[in-house]
Amino acid sequence: MALCLRSSRLAGIAIAMAWTSCIPLARAQAIDIPILVPLTGFLSLEGQSQRDGALLALTQAPGGIATRHRVFDTATSPEVAVNALEKALEDRPLAIVASMLGTQMLAMMPVAQDAKVPLVTISGTAKITALGNPWVFRFFPGDSVVKVAHARYVAEVLGKLHPAIIYQSDAYGQSGLEYLTKAFAARAVAPVLSEGVDVSVKDLLPVLSKARAAGADVIVAHLHAPSTALLVKQAASSGGPPIVAGSAMATPATAALLEPAELRGVCAETASAPNVPDTPAGERFLADYRAVYRSDPDTYALAQYDGTMMVLDAIAKGARTSEALRAALAGESFTGIAMRYKSDGTGDMAHSAMIVCYDGASRLPKVVRRYDDVDAPK
Amino acid sequence: MIAFQLLINALALGAAYALVALGFVLILNATGAVNFAQGDLVMAGGYVAIALAPLLPVPALLLLPLVLLVMAVLGLLLSALAYFPLLARPPSAVFISTIAVGIVLQNGANAIFGAAPRAAPPLLGAGDLALGGIVLSRQSVAIIAVASLLVLVQHLIISRTQFGRALRATAQDREMARAIGIGANAMIAASFALGAALAGAAGLLLANQFFVTPTAGSDLVVKAYIAVAIGGWGSLWGAVAGALLIAVFEVGVSSVLSYTAAAAGLYAALLAILVIRPQGFFGEAAQRRA
Amino acid sequence: MKRLRDRVTAWLGDGLNAPLLLGAFALAAYSLLAGSSYSLRLMSVAGVYALLTLGYQFIFGQAGALSLAQGTFFGCGAYVTGILGSQLGWGFSATFPLSLLAPVLLAGLVAAPVLRLESHYFALATLGIGQVMLLIAVHWQVVTGGANGLAGIPGIVLFGATLPRGLPLLATIWGIVAFAALFARLLTCGAWGLAFTVVREDPLAAAASGIDAAALRFAAFLLSALYAGAAGALYVHTILVVSPEVLEFPVMVAVLTMAVIGGRARIAGAILGAVLLVHLPEWLRFVGGTYLVAYGGALLFFIVLAPDGLVGAAELLLARLRPARPGVPPAAIALPPRVACAPVLAIDDLAKSFGGIAAVAGVSLSIAPGEIVGLIGPNGSGKTTLVNLVTGLYRPDRGAVRLGERALAGLPPAAIARAGIGRTFQNGNSLEAMSALDSVATARLAVGAALAFRRVLRPVASRRTLALARGEAMHCLELLGVAAVAMQRCRALPYGTRRRVEIARALALQPAVLLLDEPAAGLDGAEQDDLARRLGELAQGGIAILVIEHNMDFLMGLAQRIVCLDRGRVLAVGTPAAIRRDPDVLTAYLGAAPGQPA
Repeated sequence: MALCLRSSRLAGIAIAMAWTSCIPLARAQAIDIPILVPLTGFLSLEGQSQRDGALLALTQAPGGIATRHRVFDTATSPEVAVNALEKALEDRPLAIVASMLGTQMLAMMPVAQDAKVPLVTISGTAKITALGNPWVFRFFPGDSVVKVAHARYVAEVLGKLHPAIIYQSDAYGQSGLEYLTKAFAARAVAPVLSEGVDVSVKDLLPVLSKARAAGADVIVAHLHAPSTALLVKQAASSGGPPIVAGSAMATPATAALLEPAELRGVCAETASAPNVPDTPAGERFLADYRAVYRSDPDTYALAQYDGTMMVLDAIAKGARTSEALRAALAGESFTGIAMRYKSDGTGDMAHSAMIVCYDGASRLPKVVRRYDDVDAPK
Repeated sequence: MIAFQLLINALALGAAYALVALGFVLILNATGAVNFAQGDLVMAGGYVAIALAPLLPVPALLLLPLVLLVMAVLGLLLSALAYFPLLARPPSAVFISTIAVGIVLQNGANAIFGAAPRAAPPLLGAGDLALGGIVLSRQSVAIIAVASLLVLVQHLIISRTQFGRALRATAQDREMARAIGIGANAMIAASFALGAALAGAAGLLLANQFFVTPTAGSDLVVKAYIAVAIGGWGSLWGAVAGALLIAVFEVGVSSVLSYTAAAAGLYAALLAILVIRPQGFFGEAAQRRA
Repeated sequence: MKRLRDRVTAWLGDGLNAPLLLGAFALAAYSLLAGSSYSLRLMSVAGVYALLTLGYQFIFGQAGALSLAQGTFFGCGAYVTGILGSQLGWGFSATFPLSLLAPVLLAGLVAAPVLRLESHYFALATLGIGQVMLLIAVHWQVVTGGANGLAGIPGIVLFGATLPRGLPLLATIWGIVAFAALFARLLTCGAWGLAFTVVREDPLAAAASGIDAAALRFAAFLLSALYAGAAGALYVHTILVVSPEVLEFPVMVAVLTMAVIGGRARIAGAILGAVLLVHLPEWLRFVGGTYLVAYGGALLFFIVLAPDGLVGAAELLLARLRPARPGVPPAAIALPPRVACAPVLAIDDLAKSFGGIAAVAGVSLSIAPGEIVGLIGPNGSGKTTLVNLVTGLYRPDRGAVRLGERALAGLPPAAIARAGIGRTFQNGNSLEAMSALDSVATARLAVGAALAFRRVLRPVASRRTLALARGEAMHCLELLGVAAVAMQRCRALPYGTRRRVEIARALALQPAVLLLDEPAAGLDGAEQDDLARRLGELAQGGIAILVIEHNMDFLMGLAQRIVCLDRGRVLAVGTPAAIRRDPDVLTAYLGAAPGQPA
């Protein structure tokens, strides 16, 4: 039992339940912002970060706003996400913190549009802001931003011209591959290998050896946390070109799986690195997060915190209807902890990315490069 | 050089799969029912190791007997909850009860341990072995050694002991076993204990090098199913051979072509085998009524 | 007026009773009154799964094959609607029929290699097909949209107007579910229902009854794909996106769970299972972070409480509260005369080995119409193997079997049965819940064309055929003197009676030849005499009869000729009296004590 209580996740659940239990008292004037994220299934790691970030923001609402928030699991399928959305919509929420799973977003968007409720998400799937739905706001740099930063760092800073791209063969990975390929093409870099890896694949030596055989001078990875850790571990043992990974490598959960020595020289793109803050606001966020969840935040938690904060900020400034809130999110800019957010007209709020690297001495990354206002080659 | 490393990796993976398939086939033989929770038992074994590790700071090899024990108890619990209440019922009821147990295990692990991937302690210590220019992962070699040992011990138990004979008799004909005074229900419970213990061992072996997540089991039960089918339904050695074959096939094809080709190839090969040899690759061990 | 009533009963069946209608009204009332967009959405999704599970009841419930392809057919239908609707902008009237067609074509394509596989291999092969389809959906990005899938799928357009979400969509889906349930009922309450029961519960008895199990399984497979395609299309119109999740294993697991928890082979079970399992996790959301643990626990609870499904449990409860009175047996109807003249069964040099051991090593034998031949031999001498070879259960290594001019060796068992060779088994059938009458009537149906799809589709005619078959079955039972047990369940019958019912079932084929495996076992002296007399009468009617028997006294008065097998060969042939004195037979079979065979 001692073991269970040590789990930060349980603490999070306990807090969520404590909060939900005081709903009836505050119901009258509280503002309803439900959280609909995957808490079970293969994306629950990222989903839990989303929830933790959003919950923290809601408990720190500015201007004395009373908020009410219920947490709904969207699991892994569009069906469950829409079910949860319909359930959440029954109480006429002002805005919704929505899943980072792209297929779930695509299914929820028409329903949210009909109900006229803004969806605040950190889903990386490019398509969600390309469909002309005015109710979607993405507070995480999409692949059109981070993959350009990724490619620019590899090609311009490292000067590597023969990358091997290893991507997850799912929605996340296919979108990343598309934008990486475009970004490399714009810089006249031709990848020597592009290979998809399923989340269930355990042995990554085959693809590493193929990359080496193809003459790759850098491994560009775009994988979820478990596959990223497997890749870095295997590469540390069998040697090979340096790795510049996707944002999963910048998260504490991934770093925790590897020895500091195995991490030496590994870099990653990310929207932010909240476990190594460089501003007072960032330090405060880290301290608050640790106090509540007893673990370090990752970039997803911070992005969802920032997004939720922008919503709360707009409400505090008087946006008390969904339409007013939508207008505020679409028109205003907001300085969050990770970056400055402003819609580009499609609902894409985040336009900055950074590169972090590990020095081999600790599991904390160092920021080596920032890319602001990046735009993908269209 | 790289080919040798790949082979060692494939054998390590195959050895762990073999433990999963062996546990699967033990329960299958004893009950005639497919245990859909077998993969989730592997996952549970990984988490049991992770939960025990901070309490006993020893290498995982010394943790192994404890994991086997805990998992055997879990196996008994599984049989008590999901099999014995459905003893004289259609096998489809047992599918559903094991599926339900799988759902409980997966989501229980998610609630207790969180969704982040976790790593169990290494069997003998981390790092690599250098043998004349060949770099081998210490963990891979340890997995192969431990899994081989467990398969061997399991073989000796089944083939050489009175207990093993009773177990086999029960698997072949439950009524006959009862008639000659074997406690068939005890033997079925023992099969669940043994099957879960082997799954737990696989979980411990896999969870260091390949980590464990709450959803890690779902893929393994399909691998075990395939291994048992191509190895000959009901055959213990066939399951081991099938598991090794799958791992070598996967690593081999993915290192030459791609992971997608390996996945598609595995199923295409499976379908081809079933079409050409409808009774499995190595023939069937279980008896059929004619 | 009466015609209309006939037609309605034919479609709806007479078993459509009060609880079912009440349940349907409750569902309708709930949907109309609940009103919230959330509950309407859940009911719509439940309708889609009900349709999917209804289809699954054909292959899994009726045919008894553990297909793991139902999710694949569902995904196939979903993707056809998704791709044509969103990529090409086609309307519902074009995409819906194609979504039905595509999975049926896929099922037809894979059926040939896959359907002949035994249980677990069949399950695995269907799983493999699903995995290949999933890989295609994920990797053929240009067409399928890759792992992200396709969004912006249009809603259902009927009569020029897009169906709004909420009640109209729900009503459309449940309208289709109701129609599909009626259609399923029409298909499975008559001849097919009986035939499927035999195929599922005793495949060997099905073959001996002349039921073409392969054709029935094929039809069930296609039907399950048809329903799945419809469900897939409606699913996409409900969710408005299609992504690889529709092809993933959890959908398959959900359908399997719905079918089993609801009640296998039950139409109401499919609907109840779907409604319950779609709502259950939503109801459990209040539990919080561990709600899916509670969901798993609830599933376990349901299956342990009601292993035969909720509908099965309800039926059991109802039967206990109000025990069903056995129905009134129909009047016997004489079988139509057999047109062909009685042919001779000729077995020529038949041989079969198993793993290098010759079970039958070149047996030649012929039986004339009206003749009764006894087949004796020590255990393992190949008697039953010979019968299995003649009836096609085993494929002979060499040799020929001819019935008149017709060569039978190599034909499927059901075809051999329909050609006029009836048989019984040593252990009798293992049909549990079926009445003795129906077990015989099924063979009557199989001999005629009553199991053909187009016949089953005509409810009025099909009911008439069934009534006729039951009347004729009654006649067969009378011939064996077991008409009194016609309405009792097979499992309730004493051993000897069950054997006679089996002979009646073989007789229903109007066979030229009867092969009986130890028909006198378990009968007392008087019963043996009675059976011998009745068999004698059948032979006088022109049927050739081969009787495997250990009981020499029974054979003495019955058989004109006795064949003794030993180690797969014919050791001796002769009159019963001659065989009793034959020294070879005595040493091989009778041992040292003549006249007292074991």
